[in-house]
Amino acid sequence: MMEESDTYHIRPNHRFKFKPAVVKGYIRNIVRERLSDVQYEPETVAELTRSLAESVKDKVKTAEFDRYKIVVQVLIGEQRGQGVKMSARCLWDADTDNYAEDVFMNDSLFCVVTVFGSYYY
Amino acid sequence: MLMIWDVFQGSFNSEEAENVVKEGIESVLGGDDYSQTHVNKWTAAIVERCLTQLVKINKPYKYIVTCSVMQKTGAGLHTANSCYWDTSMDGSCTVRWENRTMYCVVSVFAVCIA
Repeated sequence: MMEESDTYHIRPNHRFKFKPAVVKGYIRNIVRERLSDVQYEPETVAELTRSLAESVKDKVKTAEFDRYKIVVQVLIGEQRGQGVKMSARCLWDADTDNYAEDVFMNDSLFCVVTVFGSYYY
Repeated sequence: MLMIWDVFQGSFNSEEAENVVKEGIESVLGGDDYSQTHVNKWTAAIVERCLTQLVKINKPYKYIVTCSVMQKTGAGLHTANSCYWDTSMDGSCTVRWENRTMYCVVSVFAVCIA
């Protein structure tokens, strides 16, 4: 649960704004560390996807972006030469809200992690 | 002026959103087979359509809509999400859809601004 306090800030201070480049670095490190030697295994991948989403969220929380709500989405698929296309569209405050994304692939699987940060006024 | 979020006390209705998304997917993909040339246009059209309909519900939310389409070749696909937000107001829904040739997974995240 987020803290419920009213503030008169309608814009985040620049220092505490959601920074896509920083978040992209987090994603990249976590995903590389966790998936580099991993093969796609149907039995374990569900848990892996969940725990990856959890790890990324925990990491992003440590960045202390001020009053941001965080949404993390993780997609892991098996590599079998199939076509895949992913799109996202948001209705939000382009001034404050942003996203970061990183793609990882090895010869067995691909993984797309997207993090959305939405400012809570 | 009384804005809608002054009186908003509800929570995210994921069932309503689910119906919007299902309709959105059906109307775009309908009976089509996977096609590499069309898939760009399809995913764009699905998120666009879902978002337009969600906004019409007229609730004080910011929306994030993601759509993945994957060709069926027997390959597995998993998706998970993890959120840091106000669980009493914010919400999400995910719809899985498939036909003979492809899978489509659409997720909606609704972040309350009230």
